[in-house]
Amino acid sequence: MHEVFEHTADLGLRIRAADLPTLFAEAAAALFAAIVEDLNTVRPEQRMEVELPADEREYLLFDWLNELLYRYETQHLLCNRFEVKLDEAGLHGIAWGEPLDRDRHALSHEVKAITYHALKIEPTADGWLAEIIVDI
Amino acid sequence: MAKETFYGPLEQIEECCWRIPKSYKEGMRVDGLIFADERLMAQLRKDQAPEQVANVAFLPGIQRASLAMPDIHWGYGFCIGGVCATDPDEGGVICPGGIGYDINCGVRLCHSNLYYQDVKPRLRQLVEELFRHVPTGTGKSGHYSFKGKEMTHLLAEGSRYLLQRGLATQGDIDFTEAHGRLDGADPDCVSERARQRGEEQCGTLGSGNHFLEVQIVDHIFDEQAAAVMGLEKDMVCVMIHSGSRGLGYQVCDDALHSLRKAPEKYGIALPDRQLACAPVHSPEGEHYIAAMRAAANFAWCNRQLLMQQAREVFEKVFGRKWQELKMNLVYDVCHNIAKFEQHVVDGKQKRVWVHRKGATRAYPPGHPEIPSLYSKIGQPVMIPGDMGRASWVLVGQPGSMEKSFGTTCHGAGRAMSRTQAVREAGSRRIDKELEARGVIARAQSRKGLAEEQPDAYKNVDEVVEVVDRAGLSKKVARMRPIGVIKG
Repeated sequence: MHEVFEHTADLGLRIRAADLPTLFAEAAAALFAAIVEDLNTVRPEQRMEVELPADEREYLLFDWLNELLYRYETQHLLCNRFEVKLDEAGLHGIAWGEPLDRDRHALSHEVKAITYHALKIEPTADGWLAEIIVDI
Repeated sequence: MAKETFYGPLEQIEECCWRIPKSYKEGMRVDGLIFADERLMAQLRKDQAPEQVANVAFLPGIQRASLAMPDIHWGYGFCIGGVCATDPDEGGVICPGGIGYDINCGVRLCHSNLYYQDVKPRLRQLVEELFRHVPTGTGKSGHYSFKGKEMTHLLAEGSRYLLQRGLATQGDIDFTEAHGRLDGADPDCVSERARQRGEEQCGTLGSGNHFLEVQIVDHIFDEQAAAVMGLEKDMVCVMIHSGSRGLGYQVCDDALHSLRKAPEKYGIALPDRQLACAPVHSPEGEHYIAAMRAAANFAWCNRQLLMQQAREVFEKVFGRKWQELKMNLVYDVCHNIAKFEQHVVDGKQKRVWVHRKGATRAYPPGHPEIPSLYSKIGQPVMIPGDMGRASWVLVGQPGSMEKSFGTTCHGAGRAMSRTQAVREAGSRRIDKELEARGVIARAQSRKGLAEEQPDAYKNVDEVVEVVDRAGLSKKVARMRPIGVIKG
């Protein structure tokens, strides 16, 4: 699950999940939920893969979201379904979505960038929590 | 991270200036200084912006003080509204977070020979045409495309490249800060990713707080300066607020990535990883500076092309050439940038890297870098406010070099977070409310309009009052929006 939290000029994303791969997948959904008003209007018709080398947990989450944002901006591909595997080599992600169609997709924010500010991933009693602030 | 009140020390040392002494935190190299009056200071304490002013004082080579303008608010790493100068000869650093993702985000103003009564009957048509013609919002490609060698030229030469392409005039160049081009820009230092993000975005507005507004001169405070700028009461002007789009964001992102390990490598202790930086004289520092300058050149081209498109719309709606409508550029300023500038520090002439993160250069009269037309009045400064109340035109003041490295504020500053603004708006129709105030507004996203509603911002008049009283810049004219397009 994910929600937004207060940040004066920008937008904070707070994500909770039972395990780390789900946390990463949910974080991607949170990112696209900030971009498009209703994620349910996106059809998971196209598939793309993302491979990232291992790094610190926080940096890997940052890189994953950043890669999706870059592909959205250059290929105009909106995604709403994600699968993530994490192992020693790094992250293997799959995202499903479709090209932006302004007639069907009401856009919400232009996310300029993912920021490192107050970026965190931490264990909780029932899983994991991540917080990330995106620049609007 | 919760929004927390700042409980650290804030000593009032002048009517409009407060100090965070360097003794506040171990590691601060200089004091923090915030320009604000008592009222604004009461608001500023409510979040962590003052803490960020203190954090910036950790940066190696910082000169005089870590400064903040009265419109500061909580940013990431640097507060928005922060100013810091570093001396490369004293181990000074360049800090991408002190410039921001939107490199050379800035504002330009162009005037016209139209007055409110000429435009009022056709205002709706004008705004609709602007909204149709000027690309706004996210995921939108523009009317222009710059690929390969064209992009290389644009990044290296800035607005001058558009002059060669017939998309700018000599006047446009003369009245742009730094003539629309920073020397030392190296297109080879701009990544392929950044180029890709930018190739179809030059001449697009973006979203967030960016806007293109039709404004009228509402009130003149300095007749002489206004006359020199060609501003008269009720005159119709166009104000544009945008930056370097995806290209600049990517340049910043690339730099932060390459600097992940730099603080360790160079032995720089930092209280926040978003303050990642490298010495100016280091491979990482030099690479970023060359790329940042190229992104700044891209941003000037972006604002130039936005203005050009606005001129085209005016031509269509009013049936006259823009030259006949005298839609000339008054000035263009950047408010997210670092520049290598000459300043006097401790009685010595020095060249320092002045970082302005949400702060505007405001050079005093007689400064050699301002256009000769404005030499007697000081550098024009455009301060965007909110879309319901006002924006401002100011000029630099004598004494600002000593007080703030020739810098003033950049806007109103947010009073509400985006989520709070949407909550407050509820089911209200912000566009209808604006219309009742005489403003026609069009935006791609209704949520965007709610987030940017006038009440989400501090009153820009109060911010401007402080920089005027503090002697950082002087009021020339208050501008009132009548037509707004946004992403």
